[in-house]
Amino acid sequence: MSDLAVVCANAAHFLLPLLALVVLLRCVRSMLSGRAEPETWGYLVTPEGKVYPLLHWECIIGRSRSADVTLPFPDVASVHAVLMRNDRGEWKIHDLSRSGGVFLNGEPVRGAEPVVDGDILRCTTHMLKFSAATEEHRALQEQRRTAAGWKIGPGATLFFLTLFQLLLVLEFIVSADPANRLNIILAFFALILAEWFCYILMRTMDRSGFEVETIAFFLCSLGLAVCASATPDEMTRQVILTIVGIALFFLFGWWLRDLSHVKALRWPAAIISIALLAFNLVAAQALFGAKNWITIAGFSLQPSELIKVAFIYVGATTLDRMFRSKSILLFIAFSAVCVGGLALMGDLGSALVFFATFLVIAFMRSGSIATVLLAVTSAVMAGTLVLSVKPYVAQRFATWGHVWADVNGAGYQQTRAMSAAASGGLFGQGAGNGWLKHIFAANTDMVFAMLCEELGLIVALCAMLAIVVLAVFTVKNAAQGRSSYYVIAGCSAVTMMMVQMALNVFGSLDILPFTGVTFPFVSRGGTSLLSCWMLLAYIKAADTRRGGSFVVKPPKPVKSGKGARA
Amino acid sequence: MNKVKRRAMSALLVAALVFCGIGVYIYRYINHGAEWATFAANSSVYTSGVLNTGTLTDRNGVVLAHAADGAHAYADDSAVRRACYHVVGDYAGNVGTGALGAFSAQLAGYNPITGTYASGGHEVALTIDSALNVVALNALNGRKGAVLVSNYKTGEILCMTSSPTTDPADESATIADGTYLNRCINSTFTPGSIFKLITAAAAIEQISDLESRTFTCSGSVDVAGVTVTCTGVHGSQNFEDALANSCNCAFAEISLELGADALAQYAKELGFIDAQKLDSITTAAGSFTEGAAGSANLAWSGIGQYEDLICPYSMLRLVSAIANGGSVVEPTLLLDNTNDSTTLLKTSTANKLRDMMNYNVRAHYGTNTFPGLNLCAKTGTAEVGDGTSHAWFTGFLLDDAHPYAFVVLVENGGGGLSVAGSVANTVLQAAVN
Repeated sequence: MSDLAVVCANAAHFLLPLLALVVLLRCVRSMLSGRAEPETWGYLVTPEGKVYPLLHWECIIGRSRSADVTLPFPDVASVHAVLMRNDRGEWKIHDLSRSGGVFLNGEPVRGAEPVVDGDILRCTTHMLKFSAATEEHRALQEQRRTAAGWKIGPGATLFFLTLFQLLLVLEFIVSADPANRLNIILAFFALILAEWFCYILMRTMDRSGFEVETIAFFLCSLGLAVCASATPDEMTRQVILTIVGIALFFLFGWWLRDLSHVKALRWPAAIISIALLAFNLVAAQALFGAKNWITIAGFSLQPSELIKVAFIYVGATTLDRMFRSKSILLFIAFSAVCVGGLALMGDLGSALVFFATFLVIAFMRSGSIATVLLAVTSAVMAGTLVLSVKPYVAQRFATWGHVWADVNGAGYQQTRAMSAAASGGLFGQGAGNGWLKHIFAANTDMVFAMLCEELGLIVALCAMLAIVVLAVFTVKNAAQGRSSYYVIAGCSAVTMMMVQMALNVFGSLDILPFTGVTFPFVSRGGTSLLSCWMLLAYIKAADTRRGGSFVVKPPKPVKSGKGARA
Repeated sequence: MNKVKRRAMSALLVAALVFCGIGVYIYRYINHGAEWATFAANSSVYTSGVLNTGTLTDRNGVVLAHAADGAHAYADDSAVRRACYHVVGDYAGNVGTGALGAFSAQLAGYNPITGTYASGGHEVALTIDSALNVVALNALNGRKGAVLVSNYKTGEILCMTSSPTTDPADESATIADGTYLNRCINSTFTPGSIFKLITAAAAIEQISDLESRTFTCSGSVDVAGVTVTCTGVHGSQNFEDALANSCNCAFAEISLELGADALAQYAKELGFIDAQKLDSITTAAGSFTEGAAGSANLAWSGIGQYEDLICPYSMLRLVSAIANGGSVVEPTLLLDNTNDSTTLLKTSTANKLRDMMNYNVRAHYGTNTFPGLNLCAKTGTAEVGDGTSHAWFTGFLLDDAHPYAFVVLVENGGGGLSVAGSVANTVLQAAVN
């Protein structure tokens, strides 16, 4: 290896964390600091001339101060009615007052009735005239909204990410076994090609929001780096999986665009999930020798990863159903089956991830802390019961907090993870230069420590913060959300990723019990990588900034600029 | 939607928990990163569990241990290797408290910013003067024992040697029993009369008319039917002479008057009961059993017999504090490192003890025995039950140019002054000149 490459690799050592920070901070600024104006879909006007803009596809009319249209009168129920728009621009009014207190043009509304421009709604005695926003009006409004990425160019961010990836390649050229060098270079170049292809595809669709994808590509490059270091012979597999994941992201995102399609498949999704889980539980061990794996024609599949996507798909809901107790009860039953099934498989980490996600969905649907506390209490009681019946389960947690007392027994992996992580300092030993990779499960359960050791604490923390940024971004977007389905799905997806990441990272560092789940996008794993990309589609579906997301349909363009400057 | 928007904040709660976890990790990383990095499984700095990097030198730059590229070596001179065996430790890890283990983080070049990256071996300089260690080991002349010398103004330990020892470079050397033990910091011994410094400190602070008292010694005293014997017949004497004579009758009387609780409390406060810290090294904890009120056991416990056990290092701290007006600059083995001070005694108590220890030498031990040294000291001849005695000699120099405190122990060596005193003289003469 020439001296020049060695000098460059040394420079890369300090540049890598810097570039990771630049990429992350550019994404953060672009996602969190930009103005995000709401979209107006129509108006409700009172006889006195008071105008309520309808800022979402689903609007609650009621007495509650947190309603979208607040009618502060004692004869109005707290949640009186829901006005909903579908993808084709058709509106419906749903009576939720339980007292038949909703009237459309003087007629009482039974269940739901279609509403058109000019209709008069009456909530008990209070009149509201409905007027829908026209396509032209909407197009005009869209032009005035701030475009995603107008301040921080997404192309430049991707350019910095590409530099980051090239530096990684450079480090591997120095450190890797010459036999693997070509594999590693090709895999990274395939990833770079894939990300620029996605970027160009986005631009051709007239989308300028690319931060979520950039973050995913950043995490995937770390995943590739881990792979290049620990299992360089699997580089091709890893990059192919990444590309399949990207394809699934686009397909699934495309599917999510139309809420009526989505809703139609909720029941099948639930049934397939349970069937898959049941099959896995009953047959997997006998057929494939592992409880949470299914191996078909050489490809191993982890059903729990796919069920993650389905769980959110089934769990999220629109406002009209949200206040029906039957709907939430069915979801609770579905969740209990999923969490219980995973616990029975011995996959406690995944069970915990599902449970935490369940709590967030349950809270977002019910708004009741009591419900959440009840769920937590039941879970703790069930857990205690399991521990008293099967004490060996408790054994798995006995090491927690005491790993240094048993460095060659139950604390073997965690102590080595911490030692390697400390050894890396802030800047790491250099890509491919660690020793932790030789320890079992380093590239999955202890991947954070591997990142710390080879790329340093700064890059490793950037990986964690990247996931947290996705969460903050999704919560911020909730304010402009079209349908509660997308908001709940987005928040659930980020919760799932964060909980999984927290269990992975803090488990390996002995801050939480060691449960062996994967770090989203970074840990080695086929199905988990695919499911992460699909979860990402939920996050994109909640991004309603102008040109923010391919999952969100823009209004039809204004013809020949008529009134465009008005 | 407004409702859902508010409830979306619940995801931020999870994000907040993630931040808490990151905070916990960073806190632990800063506080324990060095321990983690020097875990022997860390293959960046250990090869098969042996530190593979770093150089250890004495205060004058003499290399005591060096590791690089999987090979390691000790000092060039066999005498230095033997004299510094315990303070340096060995790569095999036989000496549990050696500098190689205690300062492995520094040797590995670890710091929280760069980890062990590009460590390539760091140099750690000890405060030890290896030549002085050689003198001390030679003075022990094959007898079991320990010699500690420190600068009581800076806390630097100049000499720390323990016998029996071995040559770590000679793998075929026969290893005598107890070789792996650093007697300076890892063992406890019956203190005998040097414990009277503790009893004296308690007496000075607790007995108000001590100055005007006289103590009568007829060679032995009867305590609750048991005879407490003295080393001689000292007749009528004041407190200063009682210490200088090391009169058991006088200290039996004082101990009975102070009571077991007061003695135990002073032993604890002066650092003789709990394990102490020498940099990151934990030293041996001593013990003091409280005898029943009025019993001979209580009398003997104040004379440094009965079940008293002390670590030589604790005595070094006490005499350093006496020399230093009551507070000890916590000793260190790392050059260019100054530890904080700990107050052990009131200044008035420390000064009184200092004057009495100086009087001991002038009036009883003989300044001729220690030519050219302005010495403050106390002897100890601790009966260990098999007819032999541990010889102790501890104290310090009243000399601004050479502010040295010392503890010498010769196990089963005989008389404190004659045996340990002469070792101390040899070492101090070498240290001063």
